[in-house]
Amino acid sequence: MQDYFKEEQIDKFPVAMAYVPWQYFDKMYDDLEKAFDAGTIFPELNKPFTGRRCV
Amino acid sequence: MDNEKQMLKDISMIDFVLVDLMLYLDTHPYDRNAMEYYNHYNRIKNRMEKEFSMKYYPLNKNMADSTKEWRWGMAPLPWEGGCR
Amino acid sequence: MWSYEKRLQYPINIKEPNAKLAQIIISQYGGPDGEMGASMRYLSQRYSMPYREVAGVLTDIGTEELAHLEMVATIVHQLTRNLSMEEIEKSGFANYYVDHTVGVWPQAAGGVPFNACEFQVKGDIITDLTEDMAAEQKARSTYDNILRVIKDPDVCDPIRFLRAREIVHFQRFGEALRMTQDKLNSKNFYAFNPGFDMCEDCGGNKDECCKTC
Repeated sequence: MQDYFKEEQIDKFPVAMAYVPWQYFDKMYDDLEKAFDAGTIFPELNKPFTGRRCV
Repeated sequence: MDNEKQMLKDISMIDFVLVDLMLYLDTHPYDRNAMEYYNHYNRIKNRMEKEFSMKYYPLNKNMADSTKEWRWGMAPLPWEGGCR
Repeated sequence: MWSYEKRLQYPINIKEPNAKLAQIIISQYGGPDGEMGASMRYLSQRYSMPYREVAGVLTDIGTEELAHLEMVATIVHQLTRNLSMEEIEKSGFANYYVDHTVGVWPQAAGGVPFNACEFQVKGDIITDLTEDMAAEQKARSTYDNILRVIKDPDVCDPIRFLRAREIVHFQRFGEALRMTQDKLNSKNFYAFNPGFDMCEDCGGNKDECCKTC
């Protein structure tokens, strides 16, 4: 995680403001049923709830 | 799953792709790749919706043309679920 | 204006009624972080948005929230249909039943009625978008909490779908905030309110400075 912050040079952004990284569309799920089940067509935005720490 | 239900699910699935692409395009208005996907799935959705409306019942008022009975008013309600 | 589609955004077919669960899930209908507050928040915030693209995001997400409102109502309805009087009393549903029978009314899980104080329209683009991002997270947490108590897959699937949408919406509001930052002066984002303070000739590029005039 720390490496991400170094690469993005997020510390150069003006302070006292919130930033969400831009999403760059590359590919959507080929399997539309899978996208529908996941609740998004974008694999990078598919972040399911597990309710447990070690999964 | 019967044919009507399957077809309705397929329409919802395609329309969901359109919703997710629309929101993406709202914040990325120059992404041509995403626009191509949008145009492609939009064509499919329109075709499926027409087919469904002719076979079963109209999904919106644009598809509600009727002669013998007012099909729009008699169509099943979305919240009826499995109890039909 | 709006037009209606006679279908749910995601199919819901619940076979087993469960009034106890309905009482919890109704919070996402009319509770503090529910879909009613979400749709009204975004749709109401649009008029003071100085940038068309951002108002567009609010329109489209607000519209999707209306579809979610219908989904949550459907879940509550299907969980409470065909209940016997005995089941209503046993599941602790009698307090709701006495006022609404098995109709769907906007309230929180604890019985507190829906209230517009659950959201804000501040008329300031940075403030409103920051609230919107927080709102998506609050709804996501609520769905996390709901998922812990559900065992029935018929209920679980649509709730998981709704939860996933909160994350996508958070990303879009974050991007809308980025679009806003690009239009403002990074040396002082808070110098003025672009939705209120009128345009004047600032000597610079007027097009850039006063896009909505």
